Amino acid sequence: MKTILTKSSKFGVVAGIILIFSEMINLSSTLAEILEKLFTGGIATKDVIIPFYMGLVTGLIVFFTTFAFLKKQKSDRKNSFLHGLAAAIIISLVSGSLISVLNIILGSYLEKGKDVRVYLEALSPDVIRAFLFQTDVRHAVMNYFLSTFLGSMTALILFWLSQKTNQPAKTIRGLARLKEKIQVGRIFERYPAVKTISILLVIIAILTLPLIVNAYTISVLGIVLIYAIMGLGLNLIVGLSGQLVFGYVAFFALGAYTFGLLTAPKPFGIEMNFWLALLISLVVAGIGGFLIGLPIMNLRGDYLAIVTLGFAEIVRILINSNLMADYTGGPQGIKNIGQPIQPSIFERYFGKPLEDNVWFLYLIIFVFLLILYAAFRLQYSRTGRSWEAMREDETVAQACGVTTSSYKVLAIVIGAAIAGAAGALYASRNTYTGPSEYAFMVSVNALAVVVVGGMGSIPGTLLGAFIIKGLPELLRDLENYRMVVFGALLIVMMIIRPEGIWPVKRRKLSVAPESIEVLKEDLKP
Amino acid sequence: MYFEIKDLQVYYRAIHALKGISLTVNKGEIVALIGGNGAGKSSTLNSISGLVQGQSGIIIYKDEEITGLPTDMIVKKGIIQVPEGRHIFPKLTVQENLEMGAFLNDNKAQMEEDMEHVYQLFPRMKERRTQPGGTLSGGEQQMLAIGRGLMGHPDLMLLDEPSMGLAPILVEQIFDIIFDINQTGTSILLVEQNAQMALAIADRGFVLETGEIVVSGTGQELLNDPKVQAAYLGGESEQEKLQKGDYYF
Repeated sequence: MKTILTKSSKFGVVAGIILIFSEMINLSSTLAEILEKLFTGGIATKDVIIPFYMGLVTGLIVFFTTFAFLKKQKSDRKNSFLHGLAAAIIISLVSGSLISVLNIILGSYLEKGKDVRVYLEALSPDVIRAFLFQTDVRHAVMNYFLSTFLGSMTALILFWLSQKTNQPAKTIRGLARLKEKIQVGRIFERYPAVKTISILLVIIAILTLPLIVNAYTISVLGIVLIYAIMGLGLNLIVGLSGQLVFGYVAFFALGAYTFGLLTAPKPFGIEMNFWLALLISLVVAGIGGFLIGLPIMNLRGDYLAIVTLGFAEIVRILINSNLMADYTGGPQGIKNIGQPIQPSIFERYFGKPLEDNVWFLYLIIFVFLLILYAAFRLQYSRTGRSWEAMREDETVAQACGVTTSSYKVLAIVIGAAIAGAAGALYASRNTYTGPSEYAFMVSVNALAVVVVGGMGSIPGTLLGAFIIKGLPELLRDLENYRMVVFGALLIVMMIIRPEGIWPVKRRKLSVAPESIEVLKEDLKP
Repeated sequence: MYFEIKDLQVYYRAIHALKGISLTVNKGEIVALIGGNGAGKSSTLNSISGLVQGQSGIIIYKDEEITGLPTDMIVKKGIIQVPEGRHIFPKLTVQENLEMGAFLNDNKAQMEEDMEHVYQLFPRMKERRTQPGGTLSGGEQQMLAIGRGLMGHPDLMLLDEPSMGLAPILVEQIFDIIFDINQTGTSILLVEQNAQMALAIADRGFVLETGEIVVSGTGQELLNDPKVQAAYLGGESEQEKLQKGDYYF
């Protein structure tokens, strides 16, 4: 009994600290707003937080803490329902009193007409609003106690229900069995037609998507696809050839600026055709990759990362500098970058020309599909195989006759060219490019796309792009805390799936015709 | 001359790893190069295959000087090295590992033939061909490494400590296979610490010590040589070696 008392009060303290912390950084009220929006259909007003939703957030936090406690207790030894009840009550009381103390202190200041912000500059007015539910101190404290109590009780009841029915475990096992039965991969292998049809369906879905979604989604999709293109390029360098290039943004910037200079009226006034400029930006970025690849081809791991990081900074500082301002526009960047002219074919089919953003999304999809195809072909080519061999073991790859240094440079050149294409698209889409867009974070994001998705895996890279660039947009309601939540989600993902969300599956490929026969034998039901 | 090294010297910065060694391999022979740790065995192989550059001396293969050529050129000429310590590609499947061995072979028919040959030598590899190399056991990985070497269709095979870290029964298997490979006409330059086994299958042997060849002769001669016995075949007890102070790890 005594151990339960101490242990549960420890958990109560933890829950209380989480509550206080999330109120201090204003996370609770943000979450409450989101919940309110979810339940009321997005008509929450900014200034008023209904105590109910605030209590819901508090209750949820206590709920998870109690649940964690009960789960831990269960693995320790068998405990009775009464023990659990006592623990739940203690947790709710301790966390409730902790958060109430904060409210009483701040509330009494407010009631005396003093502004707490004088003492705690970091607090925003939102915090005080959240503290008090916009009611008086006594009501607030009551509300907090009620919600912590309800939270821990719900946890207790749910836990016991799940114990009695063994429910989540059963469901998971059932799902696993279902997955074994279906075996999507095998269906694809046995009936190639199914694969072709599903790929076609996906392509059709992608092609109709821009027509039905709103402008905001179109802009998110555009940026996701541009990052997917970058991810595909970086995947060749990092995922396949195993070189940790950290300054990938340099090639992106090279592509964007080349495109900008070639198509904008200022400073050169060339105003070239879109496709030609795209091609030239791709080549220029590729040449950039070659030049940086030559001196670093004998570096490995950390050193390579540092050198490429330095290169990216040099590029960014150069385009930002006054020295180059005549050519790059300096800090102001390049404005009025050209966009492609919409071919009349769309007008003929749809009766009227497509909206500019819709048409540009189609363009990005087109380039994306081209590069996707190229990436697939590369990965399963001789070159791709030698990159993988190099990544696995450089010495042996060399002993097998792979000229490792030239293959390394080749990987960087192709990856850089793809980044150049992505940069050109990005610049053209925004009709503007400036040095602030090529910060270090872009490299980090591109790398995260590859790592989160699964190194060396093309579908993983696409998934990674959606997670890294799409998910923060979905979390936009969290405002400033979305990056906190996003970071936490990334950590959870990497703990659950350390090899990436969609890791590489080795292809079952055979050369010897006899082995193919054996393989077919294997695949027979 | 089929294969000859004349006065090969290798420096790693200030360390004089090979102090001018000379040896020959005749067509169809197994030649063993034995010696303790740090004697320069691997350096010899690495400079033959071009993995280590900047050596002095002359390496002749089929009446042609190959000193300082890049590795891929040397591989193309039919000298294939199997690096020490079971270096395989852990994430590639067994089959992909073997295919990498034939990287420079554009003749697909011959490659398939080689693959069949490897599968005949190592039936285990055939069973596991869709499995990632890293999931194999130590002995299987060594077999895979040798198989990958064979995929390059070698004329002269450089084996670097194939018995390293393997159970005695596996060591015997590996040496049987090396002997079989030699019987099909491949010359072998074998680097080993397991002097007993190596000299037993070798036609000739060289003993390396701190970068120099100290003894050479046929396999049998070396096995019976008192000096070699003392240093490499356990003629002295560990205790005696410690007392004499020439026991090093």
